[in-house]
Amino acid sequence: MAETTTQSVDPRHQPPPGWGRLPMIPGPWETLVLVWHRLRRMSTALILLFSLAIASIVATFIPQEPLVPDTVARWRTGAAGPGRTVAQVLDGAGVFDVFSSWWFTTLTVLLLVSLTGCLLPRYRAFWRTARRRPATGRNLGRLSNSVELTTLLPPDAALDDIDRILGRRRFRRRRVAADDAPSGHTQLAAERGHWREGGNLLFHSAFYVLLIGVAVAQTLGFTGQINVVEGGTFTDTRIVYGNVRVGRWFGIEDHRGFQVRLDDFEATYHDNGTPDDFISTVTVSDQGEVARDGATVRVNAPLRHDGMKLYQLRFGMAPRIIVRAGDTVLFDDSVMMADNGGVWTGTAKVKTSGPDQIALDMALLPDFGVDTQGRPVSRSPQPENPVLFADLWVGELGLERPVDASQFIRQGEPVAGATLTPGDSSARLIGNLTVEFAELPMWSGFQVSHAPGRWTMLVGCVALLIGLVASLYSYRRRVWAEAWRADDQTTRIVLAGVALQRKVEFVDAFGALAAEVRAALPDPAKRPAQETAMTSSSEAVGHSDMTSGSEAVGHSDMTDAHHG
Amino acid sequence: MAELSDALFYTALGLYALAMTGYFFAMAFTRVTVDGGLSSTRAGVRAARVATVLAVAGVTAHAGSSVLRGIDTGRIPLGNMFEYSSIIALLAVSGGLVVLQARYGHTHLMGFVLAAAALMMGAGWLLFVPAGPLVPALESYWFNIHVTAMVGSASIFMLAFLATALYLARDTAERRVAARSGAGFGAGTVGAASVNLADRTSDGTTITSPLELRRVLSPVWFVVVPGALLALYGWEGGIRGAAGGAVIGGGLGAWAWYALPHLPAAAELDTLAYRITAFAMPIYTFGVICGAIWAEEAWGRYWGWDPKETGAFFTWVLYAAYLHARATYGWRGRRAAWIGVAAYVGLLVTYFAVNLVVVGLHSYAT
Repeated sequence: MAETTTQSVDPRHQPPPGWGRLPMIPGPWETLVLVWHRLRRMSTALILLFSLAIASIVATFIPQEPLVPDTVARWRTGAAGPGRTVAQVLDGAGVFDVFSSWWFTTLTVLLLVSLTGCLLPRYRAFWRTARRRPATGRNLGRLSNSVELTTLLPPDAALDDIDRILGRRRFRRRRVAADDAPSGHTQLAAERGHWREGGNLLFHSAFYVLLIGVAVAQTLGFTGQINVVEGGTFTDTRIVYGNVRVGRWFGIEDHRGFQVRLDDFEATYHDNGTPDDFISTVTVSDQGEVARDGATVRVNAPLRHDGMKLYQLRFGMAPRIIVRAGDTVLFDDSVMMADNGGVWTGTAKVKTSGPDQIALDMALLPDFGVDTQGRPVSRSPQPENPVLFADLWVGELGLERPVDASQFIRQGEPVAGATLTPGDSSARLIGNLTVEFAELPMWSGFQVSHAPGRWTMLVGCVALLIGLVASLYSYRRRVWAEAWRADDQTTRIVLAGVALQRKVEFVDAFGALAAEVRAALPDPAKRPAQETAMTSSSEAVGHSDMTSGSEAVGHSDMTDAHHG
Repeated sequence: MAELSDALFYTALGLYALAMTGYFFAMAFTRVTVDGGLSSTRAGVRAARVATVLAVAGVTAHAGSSVLRGIDTGRIPLGNMFEYSSIIALLAVSGGLVVLQARYGHTHLMGFVLAAAALMMGAGWLLFVPAGPLVPALESYWFNIHVTAMVGSASIFMLAFLATALYLARDTAERRVAARSGAGFGAGTVGAASVNLADRTSDGTTITSPLELRRVLSPVWFVVVPGALLALYGWEGGIRGAAGGAVIGGGLGAWAWYALPHLPAAAELDTLAYRITAFAMPIYTFGVICGAIWAEEAWGRYWGWDPKETGAFFTWVLYAAYLHARATYGWRGRRAAWIGVAAYVGLLVTYFAVNLVVVGLHSYAT
């Protein structure tokens, strides 16, 4: 600001003619103010919302690395997708991980700044309006919703009745004395519907709560996965888990250290082969003491223990394979197999050291059968008639490398093969090398997670929903009633109302209100003595639909009492 | 019981098609008066009555089909895309009958509702799955709530989309009529133009015929655009599918063009679209929240940017943008309506494309 003003003050620096018409370059402070004002505009918010939508559309159709890393890897090499060059461009723009990219973060931050910019003044305004008492009304007869009524009640009593009716409709009311009212008559001012703006603010504020929930989950949360064979045990420590996602402030010492033993895993199927249920039965121990015995972990029914949750994630077959060289046991372990379209495959690393490494490449058909063309198939997913085919590989297989066992180096043909069924005696491979398919347990894969901030999220969601409904359906409206004593000793009442939103609905609502008011007030037309004088004035003059059949029979006694 | 359920499904589809024709006849036998009012001939009144009866019968058969499927499988009939599409269509037709026709009296919108519902059923039928149990991941009461809310809001959004699309057509026509006749159009409460067709000029009374609304717009675009879109959709079924799609789309477009004078005024359609969207939005939001709770139960995380979740997110963002645009000066009216159209396209993409094209955790819903 300073630079721009000094220029025009100093006469020696008079700009040349025409110079002044050029826009002055704003200083950093002006730029900031400009950006802030821009961000607070609704059209900016709308454009940001669009950008957010477009970003997520991109993320829907371009494979995302956190979800499908293999697909992304194939896009990168050009094996799938639009080719290598395009993939490189996409990668450079962070499109393979949109939700962690710098521009998505920028977008979210901008949207939050914009939201805050919109909300702050509105909080202040709402704080003021919500506490303000209903304002007085002027020119009530000219408002779009207004009726004129006549009654024999004194003005104050009539306003008391209206006050009660409005109170039942949960209006805030205020009685304005005749001296303070613009028309000089006693006025009843009423207002309702602050929930519209309140709900609006609640809805938008809920995003901050949700954001806190996300932040808590990301910094204090932990998720890991572990596979365990029936009879096996794992301890809740960092090193046992794979696919770990851990928050900055969830340390190694935050693991609970409880032990989980998989007692049993059962997969049940419907007759047509579709899965029915997957149930893991586990025993959880804390410091050697059994805490949960025979607890089940099922899909949609996780097990909660000590702030951690165990989810049923995957499962498979884990044939126990024993490989012997003569009488020496080289390998005795359950090999966790993966499902490859009905055929379960897995690899046993029998001997990983030295030049003569040994591996078994295995395929398992749980329910062995032969199809019409004589090829082996599995007739069902259940282990009714399991048959295992093992291929023996010997040589420099690269088993010592830190890669998945199934990716060992296969050169040429397998040395030998064997077909095994569980419980059979060992089959000879080559030399004195034998293999045995001892039994067929199952393995179960769990996701173990600690997700704090869930309740924060839930509170945020509930606030969001309440705020949304309130902001869409609630509406601000004001109603006024004025009463005064006319020359003919009757009381004239003007009832008027204005809605700030949902004006069409308000016409009906106001009509119903006017009908109720009219029914509650004793109608002078019912008094035979004044009948001729009153008939014309008792008719309601108004723009809204009035139900005309509002008889007020029961009130004639009351009218007498007032006049007695 | 499954066969009976399927038979009722086809019966409902047939009844909807007949009812649709009935509503079309009713419109053809209805004259639009100069002040925008509608007066039907006796034949028109009868056609509308028959169409209503057929539509109600269709809804009954359709509901029967869904109930039987539910009984047969022992679960709520919301387990795969065929069932979702079926229920979306059922709820859309019921909602149309109750709200659009009975409450607001927009009888001439019903034909479009039935057409959209029949298209949805047809799309679902292409993804037909025999009645069967659910995979374990779907067996949760949160799932039931989630899917019910999603399907319910999708059907309401469908009605909102129809109102929005017809608003855009009608609004264009009204603006052009106003521009041609020189009659000023006053900005309506929502920014839509409201044309006074019987406008008095200084030299007497010139009356713009309501049919002018039809004349100012070329029917070609009305036929070509929906025809091309549906042909593209039918392309998977080969040349015959494409031709079928083109004929259906073109026919519906031509009908929309013909209906221009019969439609409610643009401002009214815009308000209608807004109200329906505002009704659906909390339900949709609730559905997404339930989905997150269910995901937490099933997969151990409430939000993982899975393609379906991402789709639900951008649909929500677009509808939120629509609601905001509706309240923003300079955006309300046509701009907001285009956002509404984009939001519904987003919903369809989330519903169909994400399930059929993209692989994700929700893929088994097919």
